Amino acid sequence: MSEAHEILEVSGLSVDYVLDQHDVRAVDDVSFTVGRGEFLGIVGESGCGKSTLLFAVAQLLAPPARVAAGSVRFEGTNLVGLTDKQLSAIRWRDLSVVMQSAMNALNPVKSIGAQFKDALQAHGKPSRQEIAARSAEVLRMVGIDPVHLKSYPHQLSGGMRQRSMIAMAMLFTPDLIIMDEPTSALDVVAQRALMMQIKELQQTYGFAVIFVTHDMSLISHFSDRLMVMYAGQIDELGATRAIFDRPLHPYTQGLLEAFPSIHGPRVPLKGIPGSPPDLAAIPAGCRFHPRCPHAVERCTVTAPDLYPLDGDLVRCLRRQDGSLPEPNQEGSLSR
Amino acid sequence: MTSTELLRTEHLTRHFKIGGVLSRRTLHAVDDVSFSIGEREIVALAGESGSGKSTIARVLARVYQPTSGQVYFQGKPLSAFRSRRDGLRYASLVPMVFQDPFASMNPVFRVQHGILRILKLHRPDLPASQRLDEAARVFSVVGLGTDMLQRFPYELSGGQRQRVGFAQALAMRPKLILADEPVSMLDVSIRIGLLNLMAKLRDEEGVSVLYITHDIASARYVADRLIVMYAGQIAECGPIEDVLSTPKHPYTQLLLSAVPDPMAPLSQVADRGEPPKVVDPAPGCRFRWRCPLAIETCAQVTPVLAELAPGHDAACHVAQAGAGQVKAFS
Amino acid sequence: MAMPVSGVPTETRAAQIPAGHALARVGRAIRSSRKAATGTVLLVIFILIALFPGVIAHDSPTQDAYPPRLGPSSAHLLGTNSYGQDLFAQVIWGTRNVLIIAFTVGLLTTAIAVLIGVAAAYLGGGWDGTLSVVTDVLLVIPLFPLLIVIAAYAQGESTIVLITAITLTSWSYTARQLRSQALTLRNRDFLEAARVRGERRVYVIVMEVIPTMTSLIVASFLTNALYAVLLSSSLQFIGLGDPNTVSWGTTLYWAQNNAALQTGEPLWAIAPGFCIALLGAAFALLNYAFDEIGNPALRPVRRSKRVRGA
Repeated sequence: MSEAHEILEVSGLSVDYVLDQHDVRAVDDVSFTVGRGEFLGIVGESGCGKSTLLFAVAQLLAPPARVAAGSVRFEGTNLVGLTDKQLSAIRWRDLSVVMQSAMNALNPVKSIGAQFKDALQAHGKPSRQEIAARSAEVLRMVGIDPVHLKSYPHQLSGGMRQRSMIAMAMLFTPDLIIMDEPTSALDVVAQRALMMQIKELQQTYGFAVIFVTHDMSLISHFSDRLMVMYAGQIDELGATRAIFDRPLHPYTQGLLEAFPSIHGPRVPLKGIPGSPPDLAAIPAGCRFHPRCPHAVERCTVTAPDLYPLDGDLVRCLRRQDGSLPEPNQEGSLSR
Repeated sequence: MTSTELLRTEHLTRHFKIGGVLSRRTLHAVDDVSFSIGEREIVALAGESGSGKSTIARVLARVYQPTSGQVYFQGKPLSAFRSRRDGLRYASLVPMVFQDPFASMNPVFRVQHGILRILKLHRPDLPASQRLDEAARVFSVVGLGTDMLQRFPYELSGGQRQRVGFAQALAMRPKLILADEPVSMLDVSIRIGLLNLMAKLRDEEGVSVLYITHDIASARYVADRLIVMYAGQIAECGPIEDVLSTPKHPYTQLLLSAVPDPMAPLSQVADRGEPPKVVDPAPGCRFRWRCPLAIETCAQVTPVLAELAPGHDAACHVAQAGAGQVKAFS
Repeated sequence: MAMPVSGVPTETRAAQIPAGHALARVGRAIRSSRKAATGTVLLVIFILIALFPGVIAHDSPTQDAYPPRLGPSSAHLLGTNSYGQDLFAQVIWGTRNVLIIAFTVGLLTTAIAVLIGVAAAYLGGGWDGTLSVVTDVLLVIPLFPLLIVIAAYAQGESTIVLITAITLTSWSYTARQLRSQALTLRNRDFLEAARVRGERRVYVIVMEVIPTMTSLIVASFLTNALYAVLLSSSLQFIGLGDPNTVSWGTTLYWAQNNAALQTGEPLWAIAPGFCIALLGAAFALLNYAFDEIGNPALRPVRRSKRVRGA
């Protein structure tokens, strides 16, 4: 991929939480790129560092969290180390963020229109007509009647609130929108509607999306590439369809098998035994080995690096040397 | 499957008064809900938020009194309870497991606190000296180590805490566990473990479960029967495989088409509606604004449940009228 | 629906002080925070002084046996006052009275406030209405003037009058605070779980709600003790205490009566004043420290320096 096609390049990013006894590394040496107009999904269980990573990319980290190493190049400029003033030139115009819970991100005492106005005025000097026109336009983009500019957040339903968050993120048609679990508070029908809306907007306006979620199946039809995180590291990164059809990492396999399906035969599932490690006490060797059904001696000793394989990147010793057994055809969702 | 009926509701209704002094209105959280749960079965109660499923759980747990209608447990109506003893006995036979693993345990006390209180209140036959042993026993049934008893809640993971919730319910020797979205706050890979636990409780301990959820896929994994709720009423109910393979009510079809399935091609769901807040409703089907098949009757007459296939009921005029399969959403 | 949580136990939520660990946690917390350590040391010093005043000050505080108006010397660490009394002894012996008032008022006020505030929150409805009205009425009446009126008109033993008057006028503020916190706790799932498993309401209030409010209750105790020190000293200073008891406030009273500051005996006024301030600071520091223990967000953030030890 040539430089011009990449709008975001994260290299060796590490984020630490500075605590009383010691520093805890929540994100460990993460590198990836996002191309123009690309939809990248980041999945993982809670505690894997995906939200911290997102905050680090958006430069929203607050103490005790801090970037310990690495760079975040957005359209060529390294965001790490920029001052607030320099960041505000980029924020919202070129890069915007949609948070997980609209009720946490929207001001409950201001109407939607007033919040749009605040955002528009923070990045320029639009006239009143321009503000009104653009606000109505973005609401229409997400399928909300502009009459709701006068509504307060609590007067809107959950789905409409999330959509107005997306509308707010679109005020300046940025090149990249970062979304942190925007659908987790919604019901399944509203979730589906929101995902389709996002995809539609993306295809019309051509912005890139980084979408963080814990729900792999939700994102399966929408993301171009998928990044699976575990215990602060990337365990697998590749094209979405390829990962679903043939997951390379045992953790990804386990995740896929933990989703009961409503189609096909009813099969007993196992999930992944155990729980993610305490980041203050990471197991030696591969971080996943205590829960991995295929772990062998060397997995407890050597920490694997990301290894390119068939267009995918995967962090697994046994996958690297070809000794990992292929998943059993029954019991797995892959057919 | 079902031989004996354990719990039955008849025209269960629960309304709430909302609004200030000047505009008193009535929120119809649950309207005319009738269903039954038998022994050794898991019944899933599914619906979006606002559908009334949590309110039903709380009526069954006697947190709320019904506005009208009756609940019968082992043939006897709940309204007949007079003494504290009646209430305690019912609470031990029909305990509840809560949704939020981090809020459902008092953080100040050790894990054993809740179970020991339960054994004291509900198992008077058990001498005090044996309570700790019994607590250890139910812990092992749910797959927790006995060392967990001495820990504090903050030392346990979300999945472990939910298991404690089930252990507490088990300690009461229940007949029916009311599980209010017990897995929705857990990570997906942990959910399966708890769903398997529920199935084990049904098979090995003979306990029925009312599994309240918004996640149809997990309902399918573990339940025998499914009740689909919409806006406070039952839209459809029946054996789960029947309902999922041949859904009769358009709302069920909508729900099923919206469930994400990575292995199936993406269905184009055009619906963008929201479930209504049911305040002082007029008669008629509450789904009609989102339903592509709505006819005139739907706006005038509230549909009631009617059996459309063996054991499989749906409350929809169009489905009841039509001989063939209605397809509102694919 | 909130965000799902995984198997990972999140970092210790220090706001909930597990009852079984209480002493160990408090000990650890005190050692880790400078504020807590300073406050504790100060308070312990004062307590020791109050318990064993004779050990520290060999002279009697009331005997006017010495030459008056002496400056500080090795025989009289703070000198003597116009009556020939040893000031150091006065201050040392006065500690007992002050601490008795502080702790008694602190305990009584907190106990009443817990009872009324938590009951109002949990019982709700008519009970809440009545209790809240009573609380609010007391809250609105100006505290200090009321105190003066009560103290001026009361007969009988002065220290008890002071304790009673201060308690009666102070509990309402704390009761409001505790009621607010209890209200936020009222809908927590574990309380609902307790009710659903059949616990009686009284049990839920006493055994489930109050233990989760320990940090606020401790903070209330410290605040009320602090205010008791200041209020009682103020009352004694304007002459409403028993002028014959030995206390910092009464020492100040006599100092004021004899125009100590203007006539070249500044220590007479400064010494007790300084003690009041120091004891007040001890309580305040402990209060901050408990805030930090209870709410990790308030802890001072260490910038990325090298980690001490591991």
